Amino acid sequence: MSNVNKVLIANRGEIAVRIIRACRELGLATVAVFSEADRDALHVHGADEAYLIGPAPSRESYLRIDKILDVAKRSGADAIHPGYGFLAEREEFAAACAGAGLTFIGPPPEAIAAMGDKVVARSTVKRAGVPVVPGTESDSRLTDEEILSLAPSIGFPVLVKAAAGGGGKGMREVHSPEDLPAALAAARREAEASFGDGNVYLEKLVLGARHIEIQILADTQGNIIHLGERECSLQRRHQKVLEESPSPFVADDEDLRQHMGAVACRAAAAVNYVNAGTIEFLVDKEKNFYFLEMNTRLQVEHPVTELVTGMDIVKEQIRIARGRKLSREQGEIKMNGWAIECRINAEDPYNNFLPSTGKVTASILPAGPGVRVDTCVYSGYTISRFYDSLLSKVICYGESRGEVILRMRRALEEYKIVGIKTNIPLHQNLLDSHRFMAGNFDTRFLEERFNMSEAEAPHSEIAAILATLVAHRRGQQAAQIVQRGERDTSNWKWVGRYERMHR
Amino acid sequence: MKYATTVGDKTYTIEINDDHHLVIDSGEGQPPRTYTFDLGSASGQTLYSLLIDNQSFEAFVNAVEDSADEVQVLLRGHLYDVKVVDERAARLAKSAGGAAAVTGDFNLKAPMPGIVVAVPVNEGQEIKKGDILVILESMKMQNELKSPRDGRVARVKTKPGDNVEQNQALVTVAA
Repeated sequence: MSNVNKVLIANRGEIAVRIIRACRELGLATVAVFSEADRDALHVHGADEAYLIGPAPSRESYLRIDKILDVAKRSGADAIHPGYGFLAEREEFAAACAGAGLTFIGPPPEAIAAMGDKVVARSTVKRAGVPVVPGTESDSRLTDEEILSLAPSIGFPVLVKAAAGGGGKGMREVHSPEDLPAALAAARREAEASFGDGNVYLEKLVLGARHIEIQILADTQGNIIHLGERECSLQRRHQKVLEESPSPFVADDEDLRQHMGAVACRAAAAVNYVNAGTIEFLVDKEKNFYFLEMNTRLQVEHPVTELVTGMDIVKEQIRIARGRKLSREQGEIKMNGWAIECRINAEDPYNNFLPSTGKVTASILPAGPGVRVDTCVYSGYTISRFYDSLLSKVICYGESRGEVILRMRRALEEYKIVGIKTNIPLHQNLLDSHRFMAGNFDTRFLEERFNMSEAEAPHSEIAAILATLVAHRRGQQAAQIVQRGERDTSNWKWVGRYERMHR
Repeated sequence: MKYATTVGDKTYTIEINDDHHLVIDSGEGQPPRTYTFDLGSASGQTLYSLLIDNQSFEAFVNAVEDSADEVQVLLRGHLYDVKVVDERAARLAKSAGGAAAVTGDFNLKAPMPGIVVAVPVNEGQEIKKGDILVILESMKMQNELKSPRDGRVARVKTKPGDNVEQNQALVTVAA
């Protein structure tokens, strides 16, 4: 049993706030770390203690293992939660925490390492009987010649992927053999630049695929359970935009769910996994599913699973880190109702999704039945350019998918963020699209077949009236400023004349 | 005051008589309608509340940069590009011989602060509409800033690695 009494949160933004909330509910003390850009961030206000760890750029603050461990020592924290991003999937961070006698609220470093290299992860889970997308099967580094000779046996189209990859970097789609050499060179260059490792491999390109992931929990006593699936096919630039649980594709196919869940548990067991993790699968139209990768951390979209299973995943992570047994067994996990999460980003959906920075002058959050908002934004908060553009997550819960879609529409209409541009209109258009309502979409849908401007705009006349009234008011205000100025000068004249008259 | 307001391919004539009444003619042969309105906004914010014949609407109304008469209205998940011209200005424009042709230089300004990753054009280079002028990194994303028209690159005022502020001039494109 490990002692966990005071938790240092090595992160920022909405996830730091989320973790502080779990700690508060458990009666644990919290320690925040922050960069010079984050003095007024919500996680700094919300924690019991807060320590400055350096300048705004992440590599000088949130990525500095030495500074974070120093704060742990000074504050007397006995555990560290890494959140997601930053240091969450760095095995050296998990190892350094252990070395400093701190409880790392996450998986052991060996498990992070085993899943971090995609080539090693593929062969490890394959040996455990987990299906992987057909591709080059080798633990060793393949040369271009070896890859070119293996490609025909896989069959085109193929994906060239970086072994150290993530976020779509070092990834290339290739439709014919003659394009492969150039794609390999480009992918290696990009992988070398992004990850410092130019190792690449091939995977068959699964067409019309969905991205469905399974949340797992594993304790130190050898118990592994899964909490069902999340549908994550709606993505832009390899970033998830909207997630839901259950997946409309799995829906009431309980056999498929339990089969995927059991395979996910097996993949986790293959690397002696402990704590919360996520196995990502590609699922084709015939419901064949293939291991894609494992995320060895808490996911951004964890709340949808929390709402349908009723389990608090962050609290469960802390329970596991304390060395206790999971609070539930597999048979006690039931998925009830439906949940959808919309990621609200500071970006302009009408201008090529350009990031939007600046001061949020007003923020009116949606509320009411079935609505949860995880956010780090408040009125007066300034969005900085140094960190990612996720402002908040609106998560809605309902009895059925239909109810939750209508509820999310209602919530997004209530949500008002003034001062910066957000992608709320993208979500509103998406929720209105027939393809989304029918649950009929794959990983390419949002980027290739969804168009905001196609949606019908029903309130032209009201828009015309609003624009005209605002222009009219501005015109009047401008006129008034001039008029007041005139009267001011004449006031002095008037006083002068008055005085003269009364002499 | 009378205004000619255009949304998409539709032009409305809107007359504002006093602080609470307006007459709108949608130009489709139907008789003009009179509405009672009440426009509210939170102290100088861009978020407005409109009550029009007791129907309630909330919307963002933003001015378009470098334009005197264009605004964008974000209403119930849709963005409307609206042009508002008051009648006197419209008459003046007409007597001046119609709208002026698009001339002059296009100045690409940084839409947000960030770091210049690449400038794939050189001074003197002929470019097409949609060509990438600058790649700017901000909020961990690389953003392609494109030319809105054909032309020639007259000046490049930045280079890769530069830290730029919002609205800083980056590239000038001459027609």
